[in-house]
Amino acid sequence: MAFLDNSGDIILDAVLTDTGRMRLAKGDGSFKITKFALADDEINYGLYDKNNPSGSTYYDLQILQTPVLEAFTNNASSVKSKLLSISRDDLLYLPSMKVYNGTGYEQFDLTGTGENTFIIAVDDTTVKAINGTDSTTSISTNGILNGSRAAGQSGAGSAKIRVDQGLDTTDISDELGIDPDLLETQYLIEMDNRLGFLVASNAPATADLSFIDDDNIATYYLTQGDSGFVTIMTTTTPTNIAGPRGSNLAFRIASSITLKTNNYLFNVLGTAGSQALGSMDGSSSGETYRYIDTFIAITGITTGYRIEVPVRYVKQI
Amino acid sequence: MASTFKTLLNNDVISTRSMLHEALPVTGTIVSGTYNNGTTEYNIKNFSHGMFQSVYDYPYLSSSANHIFDLTLGFSSNSGLSASSPTVAANPQQAKKINVYNQMAQVLVGYDITGNVRQFDQDGDLAGGTKLKECIFINLARLLTKDEIKKGSFSMTVMSGGTSIAPSAKVLVQDVNALNKYKVNSPAGEYAILYSGSGDANVNSGAPAPAEGTTPAGLIYYQAGVVVLTASLFRGATTFSSRTLIPTIKPSTMTKALTGSYISASSDAFRNRIVNISFNNTTELNSTIYFCRVNNNEFNYSSNPTYLSSSKLVIKNNSNDTPVSYITTIGLYSADNELLATAKLSEPLKKSPDNELTLRVRLDY
Repeated sequence: MAFLDNSGDIILDAVLTDTGRMRLAKGDGSFKITKFALADDEINYGLYDKNNPSGSTYYDLQILQTPVLEAFTNNASSVKSKLLSISRDDLLYLPSMKVYNGTGYEQFDLTGTGENTFIIAVDDTTVKAINGTDSTTSISTNGILNGSRAAGQSGAGSAKIRVDQGLDTTDISDELGIDPDLLETQYLIEMDNRLGFLVASNAPATADLSFIDDDNIATYYLTQGDSGFVTIMTTTTPTNIAGPRGSNLAFRIASSITLKTNNYLFNVLGTAGSQALGSMDGSSSGETYRYIDTFIAITGITTGYRIEVPVRYVKQI
Repeated sequence: MASTFKTLLNNDVISTRSMLHEALPVTGTIVSGTYNNGTTEYNIKNFSHGMFQSVYDYPYLSSSANHIFDLTLGFSSNSGLSASSPTVAANPQQAKKINVYNQMAQVLVGYDITGNVRQFDQDGDLAGGTKLKECIFINLARLLTKDEIKKGSFSMTVMSGGTSIAPSAKVLVQDVNALNKYKVNSPAGEYAILYSGSGDANVNSGAPAPAEGTTPAGLIYYQAGVVVLTASLFRGATTFSSRTLIPTIKPSTMTKALTGSYISASSDAFRNRIVNISFNNTTELNSTIYFCRVNNNEFNYSSNPTYLSSSKLVIKNNSNDTPVSYITTIGLYSADNELLATAKLSEPLKKSPDNELTLRVRLDY
């Protein structure tokens, strides 16, 4: 996408997204715009110079010069960071979200990348290769989830993914609760439906799918009432949020039938792996594997805060 | 309660309709000459059925070529040119020429009360008057005309006289005053009468402009994008053949071209006499305008990851500072939170409790 011409008057470049066009083509009345949101995807607030000695006119000088890209037609690529309406003007802190990495929620350490991820073993053969015994035994390596048996079958294990919400600051005591109007009680989860689906942390319940868009991105809405997904944290809940705690979202990922039963997506989207995963060394005959790197986007409905959790689907091939 | 969406109310959404016009000049050299190597015109496509000829703006085998218009001609079975016992040698394609005329007539003029196909009428009064029994048809491509040709904008200059090698009598054909005077008794939509000015012997000068009601030269159907020219426009031509390709075939008159030539050959001849064609097209834009009204106490915070540092707002030193955010994008959503349309501002727009904004997002259909 090119930048918009910003030399003259402010112009507005509007397009239908691919999902919008798809719904329009359906002709079933599903194309109905009922609300709007504002976003600031291109803005880097780190450029806000609130201590500029020349005065407040200079605080946002660099931000206002930010060039803006043309509108994307891909619905998943736009409006990533939404603006937020809060009636109070005196807020100094806003909640954020962090991936929890305590016991049972650890991420797998990807050597050499500086990043961690959650590994999903997609079928029984891969699970067996990783734990070195059989497919009905839990995987003991931190950060590797059994995607083949995530829905509570024998060998599902206790490994899960959890995202915590709260004020991640030591300026405010964690004894204090988060303001009720900033507490997340509903989350929106977006993930590639070709690869997997959501299972409650207390499997076997699976999440109800809201819709799948034209790019096979599945959207789930999970609320406080959905057992095994959303939990309000207390002051005693272990978390890596430093200050007042809000809620957390915990879940497992089950691999799709497509991933379990054929290698097409691994060949098209995947990469040959070489790092050892448990007992699967990635190089010996019969222990080579391919993986697909993707992410699960989690957005708090109340605050609009969004976090992308990296996930790697792995299959022995 | 914090929120990221705002519901659009009934008075925030309106529908409008607007007309968009484009000027389309077609030069004569494009339709004859530019892509001609002496034996083949690469932008002209003839078909084995021989019913019409397609004209492109570039060699038609290229994917860059755009279809400009189709040419064909025909005459009524009531025409004096319709032979009672046609022969292939003397009357090639007579049946096809009559079929072409009837096809165009039934679509553009319709049927009379007894179910017979009407003939093209010179003044549009179908009850009587002079009929156009021998016609040249220019079927302009939808790519050019879009929804319709703009009334009063059509102009065409042709060489109506002389020989095919040395044409003369430049004539300007226009839909004079059609914006204020057009007909609605065609089943194919609105149409107007084309008038021609007098021929000008000086081929290098501009042809005299026609006047309304003087010399009718045909009809133009605006929504159908079809120009119907009377063949009598070329009655002054002493030869009517393709100038560059088949100079040896020189029908002595337009009449002989109609009766004694193939449709493709006569189309070649006519095409070689086109100096230019120009018109404005019309695209009907139906728009929905969404007024996204942002009040002073709305959208002053951001969920942008750079907005926070250890959960603290980077744009504030203390809680009394005014919150501020910068709008670059507007998302329009369905009730189930699916992003259906996006709009981008050309530059970031500052939002704080000190200001209110109304962002007008227009979606065209």
